[in-house]
Amino acid sequence: MIKKNLLHKSSRLLLLLAAYGLSYPIQAAPRIASDNSERRILENNFLNSQPQQTSITGRVTSQEGEPLPGVTVVLKGTSFGSITDLDGNFSLSASLQANNVLVFSFVGYQPKEVPYKAGQRLQVVLTEDAKSLSEVVVVGYGTQKKSDLTGSVGTVSKELIEQQPVSSIDRALQGAAAGVQVTQTSGQPGGGVSIRIRGGGSIQGGNEPLYVIDGFPLYNNAASAGVTSGADVNPLASINPSDIESMHILKDASATAIYGSRGANGVIIITTKKGAAGTSIVSYEGSYGLQALRQKIDLLNASEFAQLRNEALQDRNPAGGPYQYLAPAEIAALGTGTDWQDAAFHQSPIQNHQISISGGNEKTRYALTGGYFGQDGIIRNTDFKRLSARINLDSKITDKFNVGLNLTGSRTDANLAPSGIVSSLLTMPPTATIYEADGNYTFRNPFENLITNPIASLFEQTNKTNTLRVLSTIYGEYTLLDGLVAKVSFGTDITTTKDESYIPRTLYEGIAVNGQAAIGQLNSYSWLNENTLTYRKESGKHSLNALLGFTQQEFSNDVFRAGSQQFVSDDLTYNSLQGGATPTVPYSDAYSWSLISYLGRLNYFFDQRYFFTASLRADGSSRFGKNNKWGYFPSVAFAWKISNENFFTNVNLPITDFKFRTSFGATGNQEIGMYQSLSTLSSVRVLLGEQITTGFRPDRIANDNLGWETTYQFDSGIDLGLFENRLLLTVDGYYKKTVDLLLNVQIPWTSGHSSSLQNFGAVENRGLEFGINTVNIDNGALTWNSSLNLAFNRNKVLKIGDGQEDFIISGDYIIKVGEPLGSFYGSVTDGVLQPGEVAEKGNLTGKSSPKAGDRLYKDVDNNGTFSNAADRAIIGNAQPDYFFGLTNNIAWKGLDLSVFLQGSVGNQIVNKNRQSLELFTGLQNAAGSARDRWSPSNTDTDIPRASSDPSNIFSNRFVEDGSYIRLKNITLGYTLPVALTKWARVSNARLFITGQNLLTWTSYTGYDPEVTSTNNTVSQGTDQGVYPVAKTVTTGVKVTF
Amino acid sequence: MKKLTYILLLFSFSCTNLEEVPPSNLTTEQFYKNEKDALAAVNAIYHRMFTEQLVLFNRQLMMLEMATDDVTAGPRTRSAQVVDMSKLQHVPNNTAVEWTWQYTYEAINRANIAVDRIEALGEDVINSELKTRLVNEAKLLRAWNYFNLVRWFGPVPLILHETTSLTNEALQVQQASEEVLYNQIILDLTSAESLPAPGTYATADAGRVTAGAAKTLLAKVYLTRKEWGKAADKLKEVIDLGWYSLFDNFADVYNVATKNGKEHIFSIQFNGDPSIVNHLAMFSLPFEFNGEYVDAPHLPGQLYESYDLQDERRNLTLAKQLYNPQTGQTVNLQHLTYVKFFDSSKALAPQQSAKNIPLFRYADILLMYAEALNELNGPTQEAYHPINLVRQRAHIPLLQEVSLNLTKEQFRDAVFLERRKELALEYHRWFDLARRGPEEYVKALHAAGKTNAAPRHVHFPVPQRELQLNLNLRQHPDWVGF
Repeated sequence: MIKKNLLHKSSRLLLLLAAYGLSYPIQAAPRIASDNSERRILENNFLNSQPQQTSITGRVTSQEGEPLPGVTVVLKGTSFGSITDLDGNFSLSASLQANNVLVFSFVGYQPKEVPYKAGQRLQVVLTEDAKSLSEVVVVGYGTQKKSDLTGSVGTVSKELIEQQPVSSIDRALQGAAAGVQVTQTSGQPGGGVSIRIRGGGSIQGGNEPLYVIDGFPLYNNAASAGVTSGADVNPLASINPSDIESMHILKDASATAIYGSRGANGVIIITTKKGAAGTSIVSYEGSYGLQALRQKIDLLNASEFAQLRNEALQDRNPAGGPYQYLAPAEIAALGTGTDWQDAAFHQSPIQNHQISISGGNEKTRYALTGGYFGQDGIIRNTDFKRLSARINLDSKITDKFNVGLNLTGSRTDANLAPSGIVSSLLTMPPTATIYEADGNYTFRNPFENLITNPIASLFEQTNKTNTLRVLSTIYGEYTLLDGLVAKVSFGTDITTTKDESYIPRTLYEGIAVNGQAAIGQLNSYSWLNENTLTYRKESGKHSLNALLGFTQQEFSNDVFRAGSQQFVSDDLTYNSLQGGATPTVPYSDAYSWSLISYLGRLNYFFDQRYFFTASLRADGSSRFGKNNKWGYFPSVAFAWKISNENFFTNVNLPITDFKFRTSFGATGNQEIGMYQSLSTLSSVRVLLGEQITTGFRPDRIANDNLGWETTYQFDSGIDLGLFENRLLLTVDGYYKKTVDLLLNVQIPWTSGHSSSLQNFGAVENRGLEFGINTVNIDNGALTWNSSLNLAFNRNKVLKIGDGQEDFIISGDYIIKVGEPLGSFYGSVTDGVLQPGEVAEKGNLTGKSSPKAGDRLYKDVDNNGTFSNAADRAIIGNAQPDYFFGLTNNIAWKGLDLSVFLQGSVGNQIVNKNRQSLELFTGLQNAAGSARDRWSPSNTDTDIPRASSDPSNIFSNRFVEDGSYIRLKNITLGYTLPVALTKWARVSNARLFITGQNLLTWTSYTGYDPEVTSTNNTVSQGTDQGVYPVAKTVTTGVKVTF
Repeated sequence: MKKLTYILLLFSFSCTNLEEVPPSNLTTEQFYKNEKDALAAVNAIYHRMFTEQLVLFNRQLMMLEMATDDVTAGPRTRSAQVVDMSKLQHVPNNTAVEWTWQYTYEAINRANIAVDRIEALGEDVINSELKTRLVNEAKLLRAWNYFNLVRWFGPVPLILHETTSLTNEALQVQQASEEVLYNQIILDLTSAESLPAPGTYATADAGRVTAGAAKTLLAKVYLTRKEWGKAADKLKEVIDLGWYSLFDNFADVYNVATKNGKEHIFSIQFNGDPSIVNHLAMFSLPFEFNGEYVDAPHLPGQLYESYDLQDERRNLTLAKQLYNPQTGQTVNLQHLTYVKFFDSSKALAPQQSAKNIPLFRYADILLMYAEALNELNGPTQEAYHPINLVRQRAHIPLLQEVSLNLTKEQFRDAVFLERRKELALEYHRWFDLARRGPEEYVKALHAAGKTNAAPRHVHFPVPQRELQLNLNLRQHPDWVGF
């Protein structure tokens, strides 16, 4: 994509020179054009003039009707040619010959031959070349032709990012590239996602990929000052997705090892839009849409609930009779009661506006953008807004010296759903009302189970956060010798996040402290300096490309919080902490880390047949023990382009391209907290008299040997192009082994500590990835392209601890040698206790006084009784068998249609909401399944009876199939004919309508199968009170002037 | 080429380094250098035992009290582990047991750090009197924790220095016998007897341990080991020193105005500061007052019924109705609650109760003295005197007025009943039941309807996790197979 732009630019340069009356032979065009067919045309000389000439004129446009400037037009078989101007027009004088064909060629588009007749004005439409769309890829510290790649690099098309109405770029990655698994951790506007590239390898360390935005590496750490409750805003949401030109995903070690200690989880390289030489292009893009909840969860209504509560009360106190809550007549009068879901969820708007101006001349190119994104949540009183601006500038100071700047600033504001809101909505009894008779909010669940009024919390609590972020990189590039370029760049990422919270006196949450206000601020600052030398040399069949670099990055972070309680008035909220009579303990802390790196890479290509790459990065990180500061991360790779072998030309197969790749290398993971190797002390507050005094306690035992977590990865793949590359197939197989896991190794408590962060254990991931791109139909008028990506990953724990135990139980999860991470560990249900079975099976209910209707569990350890702790087994796993994305793009005249399906198969979800809703205590609302609960008159069921004292046991009952296929995106666009818009100087106008998540096929009973409460690899796949993902319909327009 | 040299220079120019100096944390190397550091090291032990959010005393001990006849897991208990404890169904991986072990050893580690680091300080940086005091405070707290451990678990690892290494040798420590543990406990406590006498601390340090606390603990150690003579001597010593006496009114034991008074030997300190949670007070808030605590202790009627009608302590300990100062109404409660630590001025924020929780007080000394004398010489007049002091204060008849000519065994029962009523919910009950032996323990719990109680329950099981991580550790013999 980058290359296409460059060529665009070079072509425009030609035009510019032509406009100044300079003659410019095409052959002298910059050497960037390296595609063979292109070069052949360019090498033709059109200086030979011929005596008898005819004028041929015409206009070249893209499929979207955009004029294409800089298209080379050559009379077939001759060297006569011309180039289209800014409006796509060309004219050329040629002598009429028998062979009346013009050849149109332009990088990024399929060449086209058009016959002409004298005097005719030609209208030529060029079709984008699906293959060349991903021709040039951005790799670490440089770019490479895709055909030269030895590593595994995925490309996300710009169109796929652009057409999805999402708040942050990582959300658009779902299904976009093979092996990239994206799960939403919250549907909160601006909320986060969890990304795994080729599976998670780390238990304790981070598993998220490294993002490199215009050369600036950043890890997407949650940014919260710790004052707000509920899901944090995703820090990547401060980057405007509309600014993005391309995204490349580095997957294998050959591609990622150049990022050394941060490459183990994959690297996502993001390049923002740059200007191009030529006249300025002004464009506006705007969209507006509505979002809605996919489905409600089936719960009991008021009269059903009242009946359940009567039964539960009778169970506790049989003497009280069957109507201890409400009598039948009262129940009949209840009706459906309060539907808390209806009260909280609504249809909400989403909008996006973007203005961009780009252009430049031969020396300076620029792109300016300004954007606004606003999203109201489907839960009332939650939202996210972003205002952002960007300037990208590149300038040629001299022939040898280039400088450039990428600068973006943004402000985001979000109102967050307080934590527990979704759980409260589900469990609040339908017999409770939102308001009391006196018009005030109902405080809480009237029964013995604390649930605060979720609607009151939503509307009355202030729970918001805003972030100001400035991310910039500047560079200077100097050509020292022919082929030897030195580049120095500096970058900074400055972020300030402010959290604001107020819980008024009128809420249950605030009454005990008479109102509570808090503010918090998180400042983070990171600077980067990169110095690289690149050397390119081509000589005959040999091609060499070497990179040497030194980089340093430092990050520092400080946070403070303050608050107070006991307010007289709720009016000033968090804006007047001094108005609270009792201050809460203020808090502040700070930390920093630094990374010093040396890196080198060598590419050697021979005869476009053999490709070698070797790279090495040495990283010194402050985060590790003093004996282990430095890590070394090498990689080697080899590719063989079989289709360029001589013998292959004789092969009679429809194979256009055939390449075999293989790579091996090591990458690291440094994502542990700071100061983990040191024996630090923390202050504590203790009361020994009337005043609070301070103590210092040890945090951990020092571990000077704490070092890197290292991932070794082997990758082999093929790239195959069939039928003139109308079918492109990429297959990759990989094996990843992560060793020296950063693991909080449990140590005996007698040491005074629970655990110690050590390098222990190993996890493997192995998998297969397929990418298929096809051009199904391309007959000029109608085009239809498809793209499928499909990935299989298998994860397995190889080693944990030091051999004393082979498993770690962590809540409802188990990390066990031989099993994948994310394994659910719980009890196994075995029907319901029936009358007469109490003596025989009563001790399999987990209750001390079992009754008919209690749930039965399997006695896993075969000791005759069931106990919650001992009788557990692995009852599911959050890792999918495979996941995929399928895109179909169809274009016909001005119409374009894109259909994007995405799915995940074989993963399971722990539906914790349901576990809570199937307690049937009568203290809180229950799931619709309660209608089929056991009772003396309904014994043929596996749903237990109502009981005030149920055993709250996590079992396979709450593990559900999380497989789904969804229509992730469908977009229909129409580009108005230029004739209609030309009067307004509009060169292109496109109207579109987009549906996101419109259809989902799944058997999962929760709100949405795209869910995980935490982005931790160990406890993935839990759905507990997660803000559900919305479905969205958006319409919009894009106008280019 | 010259240019290249300049460029290459950039490669060697580093603006950052890899040394870690935490801006908001001290490290061990920087610390333990002077008087203030020494004080902070000792304060950290108190913190682990009495203040920390997941506090050892006050919260953890209440979970263990579930294994007595006084307290059961209430209907609002959401923790299955606490319910198991209450029903005597707990197993070696019960979290209430595990956390108790964990927190106790954390406190011991902090005490070990304080003892070693402070003893290493020279006279140039610390006043020798303060140095001795701080070391003795640390030793007393260490001994107290080991005393708890040996009573709960029997033989446990005896660790007397900070753990600084991650080798198996350093981490996998063998159990010491009860004899060895008690010798160390007595050694530390004897040293701590030279702590300041009560009343000599400034108000700001009123919550520190004193010579009185050291002697009380020593007496408890002797009593637990049935060394009746030594116990009686030590208790008589405390009585004769005249440092302590009973309040005239039982209510004053808990009143905010009389905290750290003449009866108090050691109390957990509270002053209503919102950052410090009074768990015991928080647990006691009934549902009718919007109480919601997950492990809410529930009091079956047995304790309530054990009080005489005129016993002043009954309504100061337990309540069937409670006055809400905010609404001005007295509310009838669905379940009995305990009110010793309920601060009515903080009715809606009970965790901010300013009431101290007394762990050692003079009434306990008197009752222990009566017990020791009875064991030594039978129910003599001398033995009747201290128990009667406690009964008189509660406005109930003298023991001999209730029943004449008690046998030694009957007198012993009377003392234990008096302890139950007088010291209810002050974390004495489990220790009292356990030290009477398996037979008495099982009898008492069965009488309270806890029919799962078995002889092994006079100990808690060594946590499963510790057995897995420390191959040199053995389960208590009574608990093998459970």
